[in-house]
Amino acid sequence: MVAGTIIYALINSFILALMAIGFNLTFGISGVANFAYGAFYVLAAYVSWILLNLLEFPYPVSAVISILFTVILGALMYRFVLLRVRGQPVSEVIATFGIGLSILELFRYLGFIGFEYTMPVFIDKSFFFFGTYVDMQRILIVIIGLCLIIFLWFFTHHTSLGLAFRGIAQDERTALTFGMDSDRIATLSVSFGAGLAAVASTIIIPLGTISVGEGYDVLIKALAVCIIGGLGSTGGVILASFLIGFAERFTDSYIGSHWTMIVSLAAILIVLIIKPSGLFGKQKELEERI
Amino acid sequence: MKKKFWILVILLSLAFILSANGQYGFAEEPIIIAVPTSTGFVEGKEGLRVVQMAVEEINAKGGVKVGNSMRPFKVESIDIRDAAPGVPVPEALLGIEKIILEKKPAAIVIGPFRSEALLAAMDIVSKYKVPMLGTIAMTPASEAKIKEAPDKYKYIFRTCLNAKYLVKYLIGTMAFINKEFGFNKVYIMNQDVAWARATADLMKKLYFDKQGWTVLDHEAYPTGTSDFSSALMKARAKGAQVILPIFDMPQSGILVKQWNAMRVPALLAGFISPLAGPGAWKTFDGKIAGAVNCNFELGSAIASEKVAMSKAFNDAYTKRWGKPLEAGHSPGPTYDSVYILYEAIERAGSLDPDAIADEIKKTDRMGVIGRIKFDDGHQVIYDLNPAETAVAAVFQWTDKGNRVIVFPESIAEGSIQLPKGLKSLK
Repeated sequence: MVAGTIIYALINSFILALMAIGFNLTFGISGVANFAYGAFYVLAAYVSWILLNLLEFPYPVSAVISILFTVILGALMYRFVLLRVRGQPVSEVIATFGIGLSILELFRYLGFIGFEYTMPVFIDKSFFFFGTYVDMQRILIVIIGLCLIIFLWFFTHHTSLGLAFRGIAQDERTALTFGMDSDRIATLSVSFGAGLAAVASTIIIPLGTISVGEGYDVLIKALAVCIIGGLGSTGGVILASFLIGFAERFTDSYIGSHWTMIVSLAAILIVLIIKPSGLFGKQKELEERI
Repeated sequence: MKKKFWILVILLSLAFILSANGQYGFAEEPIIIAVPTSTGFVEGKEGLRVVQMAVEEINAKGGVKVGNSMRPFKVESIDIRDAAPGVPVPEALLGIEKIILEKKPAAIVIGPFRSEALLAAMDIVSKYKVPMLGTIAMTPASEAKIKEAPDKYKYIFRTCLNAKYLVKYLIGTMAFINKEFGFNKVYIMNQDVAWARATADLMKKLYFDKQGWTVLDHEAYPTGTSDFSSALMKARAKGAQVILPIFDMPQSGILVKQWNAMRVPALLAGFISPLAGPGAWKTFDGKIAGAVNCNFELGSAIASEKVAMSKAFNDAYTKRWGKPLEAGHSPGPTYDSVYILYEAIERAGSLDPDAIADEIKKTDRMGVIGRIKFDDGHQVIYDLNPAETAVAAVFQWTDKGNRVIVFPESIAEGSIQLPKGLKSLK
């Protein structure tokens, strides 16, 4: 039972990390809190579903197209909406939240409601580990999550584009003096973030069903993880994912399922009281206030 | 050019005539049926379509006779979102009040989704004197309120199953499982909402505790929960023979997938909304064989040859909307509700809400859910024989992807078969 709980807590942690990492990347680089993030997650799932079931594309092709579509939409959102309000956090939040609402409610309006909106698992097998069965899709979530984290670290530390990302994130004005185009980098960061939401959706959605409400849930989970870990800190996001992921599963197993949802909310409150910028947050002005 | 001009004149004339005479070409004002519910959820969405279909049928036959005139029905709907997690009840109430004040409906059909919203809406509906035939919210507390103040709440009726009747069907199913296979260890998992909590508590109190079953654990999950691994591991570790799930949220499909993937050697028997309709087999890639599900009303995504109207209704829905019903709760009683209202208005001979409510109460008709009669709490009576009362339908998914009704006996097409890996104790 303990081993099983640890295994599912690990899986839960990677699910949370996958859900939050794109939101964090966008905020860390461009400073944009993309509140349309959950909508992109659901959008990718519906696009993939439409391509697979209505247009009968092969599954991998549907998944790749849906990810690319979301990436492009993210870039367009920056170029045509966010560029005009850049640097005004409240306007950015309102604009992205509005776009997210529009996307989600459009699907609801178009009648994408019901239980039939599901995606097949990649490999239909279960394995027996330490006294419990785990399906291949969940194992893949851990493997892909791990690969993605390593890829992001490599990308931001060993590629010129990644270094430009970090340069803009560290000090935009100085980066500009070195000839880095901050608008181009910000566009890429928003579209990469949207793409990561689509990747997370492609891997996680086969576990359940696609629904409009999922968009709001994903946004809340991403926010919870990022606030606890510290907005903009990749290490913080990963640590927070593990903290919440383990806390949720152990609460579920040993205290009661109805307390599970309170865990992440309680964690946000505690972190905001003790360390307002999050575990690894770098917003010194927040630290200085307490 | 001249030809185009005349075509335009004819089209404009037609548009004028249609708009002048109302939507269906009737000279009289339409009678408004309001549908304030959570249309963003499958029960609400399909329920609304059912109301539209029934209204089209009635209008095609000439409409409703009110006194000496024939008047069409017209449907007005609003999404009150009360089924969505985090939406406060007052917001749902605003939606109900808005449609009552703006559309001036003669009656409400379907109504609130969540019981919490229904209980709060009862006072508003009574204040404006709008007869309401509820077909989703299930709390028996509304009946208690009606019995306490029958004059005040005389306009409120329910045609769908309530939580007490659901318990009756689930008890029947559990008794059958116990008798056939000797199982007596159950693990209860329910959604943390009023009707599901009430159903689970009543099952424990009225059946499991009294009949010597061991309730290994009882877990309540907030709406939106998307991982059930802990409970399934506990069910396996504690040796559960039966898992009783009670859920109506879309995410409950994850429970079925995890039950299958984790190979929990226990019979899944209860209510999981995504398992109700014929599309579930494809949705879950055929991984639901052996699961037993209680569709709350006959006609709601399941039909029996023994009740011809239930089959005719499901066929008509598929023909009208191009796909079969998937909601195991609401469509059947919703269809019947429109006809109950239609007959009540004709008998009353007016749109006076008191007269309509009085006539609704006198209803005695055969519908897709069986025979329809109301009790003192304005609840349609459900029992085991469709010739005498309304009925629910408990069915099992077979290995071939068919649904076989296993309870009640009057409409049963087969008996419960244990899924692979699970052995009978008898």
